[in-house]
Amino acid sequence: MKNIIIILISIILTGSVFADELNVVTTYPYIASIVEQVGKDKVNVFALAKGEWDPHTIIPKPSFIAKLRKADILILNGAQLEIGWLPPLMRQANNSKIQVGTPGILDLSKHVELIEVPTAISRAQGDVHPDGNPHFHLDFKNIPKISTAIAHKLSEIDPVNKATYEQNNNAFLENYYQKEKEWTAALEKLRGTKVIEYHKIYDYLLRRVGLQLVGTIEPVPGISPTSRHIESLEKIISSNDVKYILQDVYHPDDASKYLSSKHNIKLKIIPHDIGAVSNTNNIFELFNEIVRRLIGD
Amino acid sequence: MNKLPFVLIAFSILINVNLSAQTEQQSGDDPFSQSKFVPDISFILDVSYLYRDIKNDDYNLFEVPGLIQSTLEESAHGHEHAEMNSRSGFNLNYGELVVASTVDPYFDLFGIFHLSSEGFGIEEGYFLTRSLPLGFQIKGGKFLSSFGRINEQHAHYWAFANMPLVYKSFFGSHGLSEIGMQINWVAPTDFYLMFGGELLQGNNETSFGADGFQDLSGSIKVSSSNAPNLYTGFMRTSFDVDNLTVLAGISGAFGKSRLNHGIDTDAPDGHAVYEDAKILNANLTLKYIIESYRDITFQTEFLNKITKGDLYYKDSIGTTMKGDISKDQSGLYSQLVYKFSQYWRIGFRYDLLMKNEIVRNSSTLDLPDFMPQLSSMIEYNPTEFSRIRLQYNHDRTKYFEDNLKINNEILLQINLSIGAHGAHSF
Ligand SMILES: [Zn+2]
Repeated sequence: MKNIIIILISIILTGSVFADELNVVTTYPYIASIVEQVGKDKVNVFALAKGEWDPHTIIPKPSFIAKLRKADILILNGAQLEIGWLPPLMRQANNSKIQVGTPGILDLSKHVELIEVPTAISRAQGDVHPDGNPHFHLDFKNIPKISTAIAHKLSEIDPVNKATYEQNNNAFLENYYQKEKEWTAALEKLRGTKVIEYHKIYDYLLRRVGLQLVGTIEPVPGISPTSRHIESLEKIISSNDVKYILQDVYHPDDASKYLSSKHNIKLKIIPHDIGAVSNTNNIFELFNEIVRRLIGD
Repeated sequence: MNKLPFVLIAFSILINVNLSAQTEQQSGDDPFSQSKFVPDISFILDVSYLYRDIKNDDYNLFEVPGLIQSTLEESAHGHEHAEMNSRSGFNLNYGELVVASTVDPYFDLFGIFHLSSEGFGIEEGYFLTRSLPLGFQIKGGKFLSSFGRINEQHAHYWAFANMPLVYKSFFGSHGLSEIGMQINWVAPTDFYLMFGGELLQGNNETSFGADGFQDLSGSIKVSSSNAPNLYTGFMRTSFDVDNLTVLAGISGAFGKSRLNHGIDTDAPDGHAVYEDAKILNANLTLKYIIESYRDITFQTEFLNKITKGDLYYKDSIGTTMKGDISKDQSGLYSQLVYKFSQYWRIGFRYDLLMKNEIVRNSSTLDLPDFMPQLSSMIEYNPTEFSRIRLQYNHDRTKYFEDNLKINNEILLQINLSIGAHGAHSF
């Protein structure tokens, strides 16, 4: 009887009796998909945000605290994308493994090169990203850097399975480079095409593909379009051969639709993360779908 | 106390000098540069314009019978409050300065200071542990108790401009803000489950006083508390069903209370109590997420206060008498808030004070026991750093000389924040 009680208490306190898998919590679904590729059956991964939500403003559900409480590793996008929702959840999770400054945290933004780092910061420019544009995962060339950083982190926390993580990562990369060649080839014909986007969420992708951004629907980050701003966009459109308007799934699309129909510009909904639209269940499918939507009519 | 603002101004000037020095000459140049250690700092300002169909002087005489004294009476007993949104015309509700940072691998530290027309006060100043094992956390210092749902939230997180009436009735306009310690534990379950308890000094203006008192003649004397005087316990749980999130909690506050309302003056109605007090809470929040920018939230809390103890009062010739007093009072609020775009929310709240039983020297007082208030609001949030809110209150809780005084008020509130990026609350 005494033993049963002790076992019960230890289950309650640690929850770790059956935990031979590493509990990995990620902030966004794209990270979880890469962790699945690298960790396979050695990890149990959970993404907090849903892919159809605005990644800047995630509603901090208390159930996220429960997930963070049991995490061995927390992998975040970083570059302040989670600043508006994650810090209080981390404090409430009472998990010493995933405090800032501990090895249980992996900040992916530290493993890629950030673009659009502002030299002067004022919120008169809207809800600016002070460390640079944080939407770096949409450059498909950044994914190998991310998967390798994840493999290193998993190996650091779970050294017993280091070889497995490295092997999985290599297998993933081999596959990935193959797909990446296909994507690059398919997108080649878009080089130099002029586009407008809603928020500067696709900038890394645009750079990679060679698409030329001539304007954004929102006048400054986080602010909805004003009629004056739409007018100025129309001037840009009339003097440039704008081919596409790229719109995410979560912002209202009335301004984009208006410009699209008035100026006969194709409006394309581009998924920014896994689950934003159907047929984007993993990182491969996400880029397949992005490429399909970009090159299709 | 009055020196604090100057210390802080000096502090912030130092920080600024340090920061600009750093940007000019890059960090490498100064071997003793401290600028990387500047804590997160933000400042929040809340101002409002209130229109009420009752004159300020008259309004100050009104009370919520058995629950909230009139403003005039409160100040006569030495409680001076610049309460939020309380006067017709412009109100400076507060300027809130928040300073927060990690101390070391073991502690985080938070300071929240309120600058109001009352002066400068430490609203909160507490530490949180970062590295306790097994899901435990300790909080210590001065903080808003985790009792209930909204008590620990600062006013700018509320969906309405003023505190629910039942909270104001039981805890006063500052809520249950106490000096003490808290321990909480998050269970390693798949759904959210949290337990916690607090040991607090017990210095609440309405329900849990720690300071003793004696009358003018010295014939009665209740000594001050020598130890923490108030205990709370709370439990919260939450789970998701598809796009619906359910959050439920129960909590209780238990204490020995000494409350002096002028027994030490020559006021004929001066009295004091020495009693056992307990306040119980049950709360439920349901949030349905329709899509990224659209959700509906229903939130309700029920509170019940039960006290029993000694009453000290004065007879017709001013001699202090000892009697007994007991209270059984309850109230609730229920609110529905619909966020219908990235920038807009509307909401409705129903406040009700519904049980108001006070037995004084074995006779039950004749008090109103159905006192509702209806509020509605519409809010525009141009960015995450600014908010403009229009709120209407139809208040049927105010009385003057036993007559109900229906009070209608409209207020326009502006809340702005600068500095470190705040986070949303659930
Ligand atoms: Zn962004």
